[in-house]
Amino acid sequence: MEKLIQELKTKIIDTLSLLDTTPEDIDTDAQLVGGQTGLDSIDVLELVMMIEKDYGVKIDNKELGMKVFASVRALAGYIHENRTDIPR
Amino acid sequence: MAVRVFIVGVGLISPLGAGFAPNRAALEQGRTGIAPLSLFATPHRAPLPVGEVRDLPRDDGLPRTHVLAGLAAAEALRGARQQPDAVVLGAVTGGMPVTEVLLKDGVGDPRRYRHHANGSVAEYVAGEIGCTGTVLTVSTACSSGTAALKLALEMLRSGRSACALAGGVDALCRMTYYGFNALQLVDPEGARPLDRSRRGMTVAEGAALLLLVACEEPPDHALAELLGAGLSCDAYHPAAPRPDGSGACRAMRDALSDAGVAPSGIDYVHLHGTGTIDNDLAEARALHDLFGERMPHLSSTKGATGHALGAAGALGAAISVMSIGAGLIPASSGCRVPDPEMNLHPVAAPLTAKVDTVLSNAFGFGGNNAALVMGRPGQLPPRREVRRREDNFTILGSACLTGAGNASATLERLREGKPVRGLMPPESMAANLPPRDLRRLKRLSRAVQSLAIAAHGDAAAPAAIASVFFGTGWGPLSEMHDFLVKLFESNEQFTSPTDFVGAVHNAAAGQVAIRFGAQGPNVTMTGGDYSFEQALMGAVLLPPDSGACCLLIAADEDHQVLSRRFDPSAALSDAPSDGGAAFCLGRGRTGRGPRLFPAFLRYAHGDPHAVHAMVEALGGKAAIEARYGAVFAGIPLAQREIGRRQLDGFLLLAGFTGGVVDYRRWTGEYAAASAVAACCAARFVAEGSVPILPGRSSAGPLHGKGILLVGLGDFVTAVGVLP
Repeated sequence: MEKLIQELKTKIIDTLSLLDTTPEDIDTDAQLVGGQTGLDSIDVLELVMMIEKDYGVKIDNKELGMKVFASVRALAGYIHENRTDIPR
Repeated sequence: MAVRVFIVGVGLISPLGAGFAPNRAALEQGRTGIAPLSLFATPHRAPLPVGEVRDLPRDDGLPRTHVLAGLAAAEALRGARQQPDAVVLGAVTGGMPVTEVLLKDGVGDPRRYRHHANGSVAEYVAGEIGCTGTVLTVSTACSSGTAALKLALEMLRSGRSACALAGGVDALCRMTYYGFNALQLVDPEGARPLDRSRRGMTVAEGAALLLLVACEEPPDHALAELLGAGLSCDAYHPAAPRPDGSGACRAMRDALSDAGVAPSGIDYVHLHGTGTIDNDLAEARALHDLFGERMPHLSSTKGATGHALGAAGALGAAISVMSIGAGLIPASSGCRVPDPEMNLHPVAAPLTAKVDTVLSNAFGFGGNNAALVMGRPGQLPPRREVRRREDNFTILGSACLTGAGNASATLERLREGKPVRGLMPPESMAANLPPRDLRRLKRLSRAVQSLAIAAHGDAAAPAAIASVFFGTGWGPLSEMHDFLVKLFESNEQFTSPTDFVGAVHNAAAGQVAIRFGAQGPNVTMTGGDYSFEQALMGAVLLPPDSGACCLLIAADEDHQVLSRRFDPSAALSDAPSDGGAAFCLGRGRTGRGPRLFPAFLRYAHGDPHAVHAMVEALGGKAAIEARYGAVFAGIPLAQREIGRRQLDGFLLLAGFTGGVVDYRRWTGEYAAASAVAACCAARFVAEGSVPILPGRSSAGPLHGKGILLVGLGDFVTAVGVLP
């Protein structure tokens, strides 16, 4: 799980070109959207694509998105539960 | 007497049918044109529902967009007594239906992309109907069709046109099909606008063109009167509406006040009503604010037609004409249980009622809001005479970006007698942008933001920015390219929502509006090499109130792959170049800066009389000699031969003996080069001399006169810069 969290932080930075951010800057439990990272709804959709592509996990509605993207930990938890790319 | 504008012809093609009559029949019967996509194969197990125009005649290599527009134009002009002297078209996808397939197949031959330009649709229509007058292309996302009608209305009111063909068109393509789906804005069951369980829109295609005439009294064949229209910008978010609906409400209020109609005078509202959760909610709030307790009949037809994007507002206008003529209020198809949160009662089944006045909405990405008011011909007393507004601006501030860098670097290089060709240096583009803002801005958007900030900062006492006018020949090529590459590399499985939102031509103008809180009109014009001139025309037609200013920006980016496929002049050039310029403008004489005004704009298309007409419009030989000390000629490389001939013809007719600068030799080849030339001209006029006159080693004095910028080739344009 911790590995997935670290991996996600790197992927978030790459996917969204957060040039001045390092994985250490992202608090695992802090609010991901609208928080200090400054992510908005379009960023969330960009991450939705990345997560579907890299983990085979679909997040296809706003309500689910709100829950899943609450924090990096919540996101990692959801991916861990639902991923189809590797057997759990 | 005040000039009034009447609709005397309508051409309409939508998923409901080809022609005004079949569309009317379908709406009377409450039919829907929405069905699963059949136009192209997708990896989706079940293709999403779309609004597709079936049985569209195929024309070899001609995009569906052009075909749809051509059919609507032919219908609008059937039996017409007057030939249009202007074409104003709203469009978003342009030649994308063909382009995306060519790019997917890796086709490199620029000739195959000759219909790519968004402006090529209006030019095609003008060519088909033999119009060599003013041709404008408006690209304000899903409000384009209504914005085009507003610009046409102002052209007719101000006497710039007597008869105009105006409306909107868009065609289904992979870009919009996958793009809106990536934004999770598509309802997998088909659009259910205003329904409590709605989940989004249905992407569609179509075209609607209205033949408008300016008269003092309603002609006997008038179908409706275009009473007024209003444009506003949310200045809030690139893709989501301002939740309180205040921007949408302002556009509706402006339309009503422009029409001289009170909210209580509206019988029916044709909603934008896309079926997305956010749009419908914001629109509902705007309606409650505007109408209060006295809510007129209202419906969205997008559950029947789908959302035809740039054509949507024009489809709404055509349906408004139908509503007034036939007493038809279409059903709000797809809405079974109205969303209680909206507290609206959309028309559930087609109604017959006397409809005298209709309000029709269209909103789009970039926070663009547009509304128009249409009425029964001659039913309302003529509105009070509108005073002809001043048609020139004072340049309060200006800026440019070229291969040399910013304006001062550019001017310094020119004074040394060196060209400013080449690519905008990234560090110049980013110099005045907060690092945080750079993240989501690719090349064109960066340039535009940087230019807007610099032009505003250059103004001695910058006033509030009310409106934004942006011209771009090719739009955000980087986003478009990256979106399609990602789509095709993933076998049409994945795309970038960010690139999709950034790929609309008006994305950069929307970002400028957000930065400056500019809530007035936000208009993007895409007229190829003449986009700057078209944007300036837009600004003159929709000037800011006195005391406020507007930003006029034109820019184009060079893209390694796309520029040499799309832009025939860039393809011929050995030095890839890009750049742009921005102006902070005040209306009329508002300061000490030089004045800028559009003097002429015509789609000449080989018309040998165009140059003659331009000389006349400039006041003839004596006036040209008296006002201008130099001519800056813009001749795109691909049109060198005809452009040279036009220039020689102009100089001969005007008897012009001053210096002539062939400026693309200095700037390099890109669509927005004329904006850079205008920025340099403004600086030279302020200084009183031109350092780059041919055959001179020192600056040539202007003797207190101005500089005339002429654009040559397919269009013939003139822009004046006077002290």
